[in-house]
Amino acid sequence: MATWATLDCSATQLADLLGPNSTGAAHFICDQIAGVSTKLSDTAYAVDTTYLLFSAYLVFSMQLGFAMLCAGSVRAKNTMNIMLTNVLDAAAGGLFYYLFGFAFAFGGPSNGFIGHHFFGLSKVPSATGFDYSHFLYQWAFAIAAAGITSGSIAERTQFVAYLIYSSFLTGFVYPVVSHWFWSVDGWASAGNTENLLFGTGVIDFAGSGVVHMVGGIAGLWGAFIEGPRMGRFDHSGRAVALRGHSASLVVLGTFLLWFGWYGFNPGSFTKILSPYGSSGSYYGMWSAVGRTAVTTTLAGCTAALTTLFGKRILSGHWNVTDVCNGLLGGFAAITAGCSVVEPWAAIVCGFVAAIVLISCNKLAEKLKYDDPLEAAQLHGGCGAWGIIFTALFATEKYVNEVYPGKEGRPYGLFMGGGGKLLGAHLIQIVVIIGWVSATMGPLFFVLHKLKLLRISAEDEMAGMDLTRHGGFAYVYHDDEDSEKPNVIQLRKVVEPNTSSTPPSV
Amino acid sequence: MAAAISCSPTDLRPLLGAAANASAAAEYICSRFDAVSNKFVDTAYAVDNTYLLFSAYLVFAMQFGFAMLCAGSVRAKNTMNIMLTNVLDAATSSIFYYLFGFALAFGKPSNGFIGQHFFGLNKFPSQSFDYGYFLYQWSFAIAAAGITSGSIAERTQFVAYLIYSSFLTGFVYPIVSHWFWSADGWASPTRADNLLFGSGVIDFAGSGVVHLVGGIAGLWGALIEGPRIGRFDQEGRSVAMRGHNDTLVVLGTFLLWFGWYGFNAGSFLNILKAYRTSGSYYGQWSAIGRTAVTTTLAGCSAALTTLFGKRLLSSHWNVTDVCKGLLGGFAAITSGCSVVDPWAAIICGFVVAWVLIGYNKLAEKLKYDDPLKAAQLHGGCGSWGIIFTALFAKKAYVNEIYAGQPNRPYGLLMGGGGKLLAAHLVQIVVFIGFVSVTMGTLFFLLHKLKLLRISTEVEMAGMDVTSHGGLAYVYNDEFGYPATPKLGSNTGTTQSV
Repeated sequence: MATWATLDCSATQLADLLGPNSTGAAHFICDQIAGVSTKLSDTAYAVDTTYLLFSAYLVFSMQLGFAMLCAGSVRAKNTMNIMLTNVLDAAAGGLFYYLFGFAFAFGGPSNGFIGHHFFGLSKVPSATGFDYSHFLYQWAFAIAAAGITSGSIAERTQFVAYLIYSSFLTGFVYPVVSHWFWSVDGWASAGNTENLLFGTGVIDFAGSGVVHMVGGIAGLWGAFIEGPRMGRFDHSGRAVALRGHSASLVVLGTFLLWFGWYGFNPGSFTKILSPYGSSGSYYGMWSAVGRTAVTTTLAGCTAALTTLFGKRILSGHWNVTDVCNGLLGGFAAITAGCSVVEPWAAIVCGFVAAIVLISCNKLAEKLKYDDPLEAAQLHGGCGAWGIIFTALFATEKYVNEVYPGKEGRPYGLFMGGGGKLLGAHLIQIVVIIGWVSATMGPLFFVLHKLKLLRISAEDEMAGMDLTRHGGFAYVYHDDEDSEKPNVIQLRKVVEPNTSSTPPSV
Repeated sequence: MAAAISCSPTDLRPLLGAAANASAAAEYICSRFDAVSNKFVDTAYAVDNTYLLFSAYLVFAMQFGFAMLCAGSVRAKNTMNIMLTNVLDAATSSIFYYLFGFALAFGKPSNGFIGQHFFGLNKFPSQSFDYGYFLYQWSFAIAAAGITSGSIAERTQFVAYLIYSSFLTGFVYPIVSHWFWSADGWASPTRADNLLFGSGVIDFAGSGVVHLVGGIAGLWGALIEGPRIGRFDQEGRSVAMRGHNDTLVVLGTFLLWFGWYGFNAGSFLNILKAYRTSGSYYGQWSAIGRTAVTTTLAGCSAALTTLFGKRLLSSHWNVTDVCKGLLGGFAAITSGCSVVDPWAAIICGFVVAWVLIGYNKLAEKLKYDDPLKAAQLHGGCGSWGIIFTALFAKKAYVNEIYAGQPNRPYGLLMGGGGKLLAAHLVQIVVFIGFVSVTMGTLFFLLHKLKLLRISTEVEMAGMDVTSHGGLAYVYNDEFGYPATPKLGSNTGTTQSV
């Protein structure tokens, strides 16, 4: 039964109050109360499942947003490729997360490192608290993490490398990280009340670290190992802008991501029908859910405005695609602390996130690091800032409401809560960088050594759509169709009998 | 709606025994419980309507997805036309479905063939029907009409669209949905008595009622008007007519995926319902979550199978093919999404990917041209979905969702006998028959009246220029400055979608 729904009615106590020979009446009345209690339980499950499922659908729509953002940010000749990777992140992620990803992440009871129940959703739903809706919600998060990485290695990565890294990330690397910070058994989880790291655990509510940093660091290694796109840095080492082919798609994608973030952040409460304190008050988890939607919004808006004016000063014009990236950086940063900070603090978060993103981008240019979606800078850099931000601004009241069950726990340093939360959060940053580098780094390196990672120079110049994906994404004139010089060329390249070396994927 | 709490004062009064005002006390206490009971009823209606309305909005979002899928799949010169048909499917269907479509589908009480109450939403709302239910069913009706427009795209006169769409949404589709979804329908699984083969047909969200109907109607339209000019050359070889914008195809596919969570999981219509005793963690909300999971897995598995299948067959990784495979997986799982286990959904998706590839090859051999491959996808994959359900429907789930009939048949491969399969084969035959007779005749009449296909000149020029006020895309401004910069320069605006 849903715990909120429990109503006490002691027949013996009531019988005493009613006087002699009233046991029958007391039982009758308490039976009615028990009936009310079970109905409340059904109601709570229905309400909370509705809330969670619709939040999951919203997070899923972020896949679409990211697909459009990616498509618009790459050159037209690689559009088919990047969109296929986005569709497949979701599809392959569905299968692997169902088979074992969810089990590694949330299988319980288990040790602090990795889960080992619920493989293939066995024993779900169960009284231990997981239903199908929880699986769907977590799946939507898992595919978001894999999507982030695809942005860093766009435009120059072999398709089979995408399939391999994506399955490994969604099926193993990401679930293990989410186990540490989100499972009640996880060694660093804020919900592990028996054994809290530094007496606090890590507060990464919706995943600035678990999702954004993981995706960003994985992308960093992929992009670093395979090197910049051809032409991105000229002979003197100066950066050359390789502009995306559609700003409209970038904006469409950004807005869809914003829309979906209302599932990503407030949805991470996973339920809504829960009062804080005593029942019957206007203030409950539903208020915290609303507040989280507000902090999310304010952080994004502030980051967008800061980026607008910052780039105006730095580059002399008002740039919509930069503003979009700034906006998303604000969201990535607030994701960790969205539920435990005041709205005014979210404004601070967004302001700093914009500066962090601009700085990380400048640093990347100096180091000749090429990331077509700025994914490592945005998700890695702003994600890390978000983790630190939370450790500074988390309020005592909200921390204890969202993570009940431990009196006197640490909270934000600037709010008077001491340095322990910051200590735990610095550990989180180090551990995520370490684990993701130790897993995804070698994977990308092995793929690189096996010549499975980067595409050939010819493929890169012609564009992968033409060479590997059946043709361009855009056919605006009929006569392009009927002339088809590229199709003839395509047949020559891929016909297995005529070429001496089999075409690499 | 959950059963009410019952507190009878006559039962309570004797238990209160010697108390001075036992009757009054019993009345008072029971009246408090009655108030609680009524509040639960209010709450359940609010929760269920929230769930149903938001599911309806999701299904409506599929119109938007289908519009983008269609736009991206046709040539640029016909984009305005196909998008207008999508907008108008929604608009005209609303009027017709409101006036009589909903009544023909769900009017009750009525006979097994057709409904006859609720014209113009007369007598709404009632104990069993509220506006949210109408809106949800409307969103399904316009989905069916949209499917057909894909088959006849790029060569159909606009007035023919208006006529077929109104007829399909106002008459053909409502009647079919009456047979399988109204509690009075002759093949419905929720009939009180006289179930077809003791089972009725389990088409939970409409692989048959929506997808097969839309697909067969489209098949007739495309057959009668023939292939697009240039689609098959003089020797009969097929010439690929690529859509003009694959980004829109992916956008549309993802939006359809998103909306499908309303289409499948929303078909429960309400979420606040316990299955065993009240107070358990397991209830209709769990079945709804499970349905969202089976939907997801079928699509994912179909997408992956199509990816590797087409890689084998055509040597490259093709995103539009994967998108079509994904949608075929969804179309197939739609009938059995609520009554099968997640592992079975994976099988459904795997098989349907091959079914789609097979039907596409068959269409080419028969020189059948369908710009969206709608008949193959919705018709072919939809019919596989109907059969799949009859094989894999699980006893526990069938009896939870269609309660009240002991020993009812379930999936053949799960030990449930062959009656469900028999009923489903009847469903397929009846669909093909009824839709062919109605929509086939309509398209033939339009063809004879020269109202169906556009002229050759219009087809070569493109309908946007001749009938819709101009092309969808204007990349050069009025002074002739191009939008795309010359090679080597970084100035100029970015080419937009």
